[in-house]
Amino acid sequence: MRFFDCNCFIGLPMNGMLKPVATADELLACMDRAGIERALVWHVAQRDYAVPTGNRLLAEAIAGHHDRLVGCWSIMANQWGELPQPESFCSQMAEANVRALRAFPELHSFLLRGESCGPILEAMMRRRIPLMLPMRDGVRWENAYDLLAEFPDLVCILSEIGTWRAERMFPALMERYAHVYLDISHYILDGGIEAFVRKYGGERLLFGTDFPRRGQGGMMLAVKHAGILEEAQQAIAAGNLERLLAEEQL
Amino acid sequence: MSDQTPIKPGSQLAAEFWEKGRSESCPIYNMHGHPGEYHSMYMPRGKPADMLPAMDAAGVKMVCFAHFAALNCPDIGNRLAVEAVRAFPDRFRAYLAVNPHYPEMLARDLSEYDSLTDVYVGLKLLADYHKVRLSDVRYRRALEFADARGLLVLAHTYDGSPFNGPDEVRRVLDTYQHLHLLMGHSLNAAWEEAAAIARDHPNAHLELTGAFGQRGAVEVLCQGAGSGKMLFGTDVPMYGQHQAIGQLLSADITDEDIHNICHRTAEKLLGL
Repeated sequence: MRFFDCNCFIGLPMNGMLKPVATADELLACMDRAGIERALVWHVAQRDYAVPTGNRLLAEAIAGHHDRLVGCWSIMANQWGELPQPESFCSQMAEANVRALRAFPELHSFLLRGESCGPILEAMMRRRIPLMLPMRDGVRWENAYDLLAEFPDLVCILSEIGTWRAERMFPALMERYAHVYLDISHYILDGGIEAFVRKYGGERLLFGTDFPRRGQGGMMLAVKHAGILEEAQQAIAAGNLERLLAEEQL
Repeated sequence: MSDQTPIKPGSQLAAEFWEKGRSESCPIYNMHGHPGEYHSMYMPRGKPADMLPAMDAAGVKMVCFAHFAALNCPDIGNRLAVEAVRAFPDRFRAYLAVNPHYPEMLARDLSEYDSLTDVYVGLKLLADYHKVRLSDVRYRRALEFADARGLLVLAHTYDGSPFNGPDEVRRVLDTYQHLHLLMGHSLNAAWEEAAAIARDHPNAHLELTGAFGQRGAVEVLCQGAGSGKMLFGTDVPMYGQHQAIGQLLSADITDEDIHNICHRTAEKLLGL
């Protein structure tokens, strides 16, 4: 079974953690050990320090590893021009093998809405660039609902949804918006994968680990032995993310 | 990469669990379960009968649980726990759930305990949710009962909690030396303190629900207290068993440690 991890990070968190992974080389060594082929990776400095520098650190870290590491940058409200304008930003993404974006609106003090982030969100919709919403890191469910109401065609990955009390939050978004996906890194509900596949099919779940905050083996084993068809297991393990990224028009 | 055992190359247990989903040599006792309904969570496998296929798939021999109704619904109390265990006596055991707000109910339940030893393995305390400190007089009767009989007491324990944080856990252990305190969630996330308490008290044990969620926690507990003090648990049917097994396999511990955690510690405590 091939695995493509949609959610892992490198870098040293400001407040420490038990077993951080500082560099891309360390990440690749852990991926090799676990048996994970590719990963969509962000840099913790994007969250803890500043988006522009964090994005740069991520690009530098994964340079030379584009065969296995795909970058995830962060965005924010850009009225002060701290980030390049959307078209230039997208060009830089392509050059750096960055194929997804995430946002930390509560921590970074902006509203993830059209009034403040319209240009980049519209560019993302046009180019089908996925937006990862890290629900554990300060994105509230109301934010996700409001954002999708305003940008219904946004490719959106609900990420780190938390290990409980999310089961009644995400289904309405799945049902209303065709391009919403679920990163399963925190979706450890007993029977959760099976229930989701029964209701929504296997094309909208993405294998993720939230490594190194969480270990890699948990969701690997959960997918491998989920009570679903092997075809669906492989789609979740890697195929769905590969398809998503192939549909992108950077 | 493609020829090696995923998760942990070189581990026989990893190979077995990867290939089959379960291990014949490493059965699992899940010491922390909560069947039933829960107000803020959808659980597709909430009924005890619905838990069995996933238990079989993961090689979980037995789940020891406190029924959610017993914890959250005094109108129902422990009745559903008794029914569930008696319906599947080879697969389930229960903790008698203690609600400190209903002393008459507790007195009645404790008076019936000895006629239900085929059901119960001990008591369950949920101080954080019942908002009563473990050291409060309202828990005294239950703790004295457990201590007199050397019962297991699965207590929810969490870092920073005034009800069941490290200080409260130490108070219980300093007062009662014959009960076996299973520190549910191992004082999430005060791992070093939890390990120290388990090391310092022969009757303290570390139950791992939630610990799997932080990479490195299992190693801290293992290094600090030893795997012989650790117990597998997942809050099933809230959280799946394969994901917990996978996290355990990912941890930097030996296959012997995993055996201890998955079954040997539980077998000793359950007298199996």
